[in-house]
Amino acid sequence: MKTNFLKLSLLALVLFTASCSSDDDKDTTPEVVVTTPVKDLYAPQSGGQGQPITGDYTKFSFSENKVVTGDKWDVAFRGTFIIVNGGAKVNVDDAGEPARTGSGAISIVSNAFGAVTAFPAASTFKQDAATVYSIPAVSGQGWYNYANTIISPIAGKVFVVKTHDGKYAKFEILSYYKGAPATPTAESASRYYTFNFAYQANSTTTF
Amino acid sequence: MKTKLMLFAVVLFSQISVGQEMQKDSVQTNELSEVTVTTATRTERVLSSLPLPMTVITSETIIKSGVTRLNEILNEQTGIILIPDESGFEGVQIQGLDAAYTMILIDGLPLVGRSSGVLDLSRISVGNIERIEIVKGASSALYGSEAMGGVINVITKRPRKDMFSGNLSYRYGTFNTNDANANLLWKKKKFGANLFANFYSTDGFDLDKNTWLQNVEKFHNTTIQPKIYYDFSDNLKLTVSNRFFNQKIDNKAIIESERYRGDAKENEWNSQIKLEHRWNPRLNWEYELYATNYKNDSFLNDPDNVLFEKTYYNQWLVRPEIRTTWSINNDKLTAGAGLNYETLDRTYFANNVKFNSQYFYLQYDYNPTEKLNILAGFRYDNHSEYASQLSPKLAVNYKFNNSFSLKGSVGYGYKAPDFRQLYFDFTNPSVGYTVLGYNVAEARLDEFASQDLLSSRVAGINFDEPLKPESSINYNFGGYYKKNKLKIELNAFYNSISDLIDTGVVATKKNGQNIFSYFNYSKVFTYGLEFNSAYDFTKEFSVSLGYQYLTAKDKSIVDNFEEHQYIRNSDLQTVKIDKSDYFGLYNRSKHTANIKFAYTIPSLKTDINLRVLYRSKYGLFDTNGNGILDKYDNFIGDYFIANLSASKYIMDKFMLQAGANNLFDYTDPGQIPSLAGRQLYARIQYNF
Repeated sequence: MKTNFLKLSLLALVLFTASCSSDDDKDTTPEVVVTTPVKDLYAPQSGGQGQPITGDYTKFSFSENKVVTGDKWDVAFRGTFIIVNGGAKVNVDDAGEPARTGSGAISIVSNAFGAVTAFPAASTFKQDAATVYSIPAVSGQGWYNYANTIISPIAGKVFVVKTHDGKYAKFEILSYYKGAPATPTAESASRYYTFNFAYQANSTTTF
Repeated sequence: MKTKLMLFAVVLFSQISVGQEMQKDSVQTNELSEVTVTTATRTERVLSSLPLPMTVITSETIIKSGVTRLNEILNEQTGIILIPDESGFEGVQIQGLDAAYTMILIDGLPLVGRSSGVLDLSRISVGNIERIEIVKGASSALYGSEAMGGVINVITKRPRKDMFSGNLSYRYGTFNTNDANANLLWKKKKFGANLFANFYSTDGFDLDKNTWLQNVEKFHNTTIQPKIYYDFSDNLKLTVSNRFFNQKIDNKAIIESERYRGDAKENEWNSQIKLEHRWNPRLNWEYELYATNYKNDSFLNDPDNVLFEKTYYNQWLVRPEIRTTWSINNDKLTAGAGLNYETLDRTYFANNVKFNSQYFYLQYDYNPTEKLNILAGFRYDNHSEYASQLSPKLAVNYKFNNSFSLKGSVGYGYKAPDFRQLYFDFTNPSVGYTVLGYNVAEARLDEFASQDLLSSRVAGINFDEPLKPESSINYNFGGYYKKNKLKIELNAFYNSISDLIDTGVVATKKNGQNIFSYFNYSKVFTYGLEFNSAYDFTKEFSVSLGYQYLTAKDKSIVDNFEEHQYIRNSDLQTVKIDKSDYFGLYNRSKHTANIKFAYTIPSLKTDINLRVLYRSKYGLFDTNGNGILDKYDNFIGDYFIANLSASKYIMDKFMLQAGANNLFDYTDPGQIPSLAGRQLYARIQYNF
């Protein structure tokens, strides 16, 4: 326990506490894992707007806290699409979509980030499959709402990820735009993910 | 602000002032309660004892306000708000229900041609309006589909006795706006005729001179309405009425930074043949044949003048109807039956589509005592494309005395899925998303799948059951009070609307864009209170005050608030909010009010008219990540608009008028693109 705590505290810390209103009881539970921010992860895509989408997904690993190449990735981003390293390719003909090399899965939880402490039930975890995304790729049903030309991450959506090697992480997307502006406009540069995550490297079943 | 407005509540005036005595066709002053109306019951009823909430706008009010198009005069009424939809077309919102739910009639007959549900009200000139009758609340018991929020009936002038009179007028205003009217009324013995012609043109307006696109592009239109009346006898009267409208608007678009131009032409034709047949003093029949056609053709050329896009829209409605009213002692039984034959041919429809429906309605206007009036009725619509509808209605008015009466009503309203929601087949050429009407979606999705264009289909969607009409139950309760110089009207309303049709994603294409279709979704409820008052301080000065409180909410959001209880604050952190923080539907203000002053200077034969309109804050989009409008979202701020006009009469034949709309030049270019700045105008009218 203690060594893990040390390991975690060696990571760059900028502690965000997902704050709830003062009468929210869940807020008083202290965090066991640290919240790590990721800023402006660039997830470009080519095509779209009438043309088939191509381009490589940007792969990310929670344990390494960086963009990776190769097979040791947990989640990957391209445009507004997010995939997990588990299951099967959603679009078999898409060269930019990586083959799944792990046993990852995602469960979508509605709560404040800090309040997600217990792992969700195993039956709620979904993997990618042919033509079906684990995080639905549709406005309002996945991770974002699209309105008035702006993509806004839905508040209170926390994605609990079973990583490619069986560990657990949770992440919450804060913005889709470069610099994470509070009020993005049509001119804001898009496809830059800003998100917070927490990684549980132990075999405990809580965050 | 609210308190200031409420403090005015003591100051109440009637708007119809002495100025009328100077008009040739003078109407009784201060006796609005004796006005007879026909829209609410399809028979003549005295307004004050009508058990339904109704607003009447007289031609005097319209002339004194200096407006030229229907949308402008409607916007000044309590409980009616003009709001633009996403395509920029302005429609009326009544009791919190959108423009698509209000039926627009000219002389009792409906207009067609709604782009995305909204009928552009600026198509209707006010130059020959006798009065406008607005019935609020579900009126499908008489008028069928679309009369869910209410009915607006524009009644045009007709010659009542032997006469030859008319008027000519010309008005010039800001933005190079011209409005010229000619109105002729003639009646001699058995023959009568009415000819109305109007020409309107404007350069449009532009709130942001830096962009090439204007807020409203340049357009002009012409209206010609010839009507002929022939009285075979006192018991048999014929009306043949036609209306022709055509409009040309500059069509401009910027696509990928290139300038595309073209134009859009609208052509509308309404034709009515009606025979009024009085069998005996107790039995009246009306036989009517109505046909209307609306066409809209538009094109866009690219910068090299090569045709880029061409769209067309051609809608026909033919409706024969028979009505009868049978007077039984003090009561009246009204019955009617008819057919609707409707076709629509437009781009984005694979085929020309047709709707066929038959309907009949029955209404009993029951007066068991002098004080009690009960209106009960229903209408049955049998339709080729959706389930038959039975729309009942019950309304009661109790007249305690000449000064005070109470009324209540409950009614059912519905709106059929329209052509677009059933048959649309549109793919946006630049962005790539597709919208499919409900009836064509399944086949087209299978086509997309077989062409290997789909990347995923949303689970659990099937098109087996037909799309249901949107329906509502509407309750109204109110009263009417009149004493000496004071008149007060109050109406509390509640609408419960089910099966609202809205778009939803059905599949995703390989280009990342979505395919949408239409589904019956939500339950929405609206409720509120409408208050109207008028007070004559003196014969020269009168004031009227109107106010509406409105709450409109989506029931599924209220019931499942946990799905929307998290928002992002300005630090992008997730915060939990309360159910009571849910504000309601988009584009609805909780408070709207208007105050109108009418002042006459008899020695100068001048009328001065000032109207101040207020709209409280409203939101258009979710801005904090929970998909609904809550009080922490960004709102469009509240505002006042003041309209001023002054009219001077010279020798009973001439009228000079000058005025300013939006006197204090309030604009909000970023958030309210449809609000033009100050407009000044001057008009001259010759009456003969």
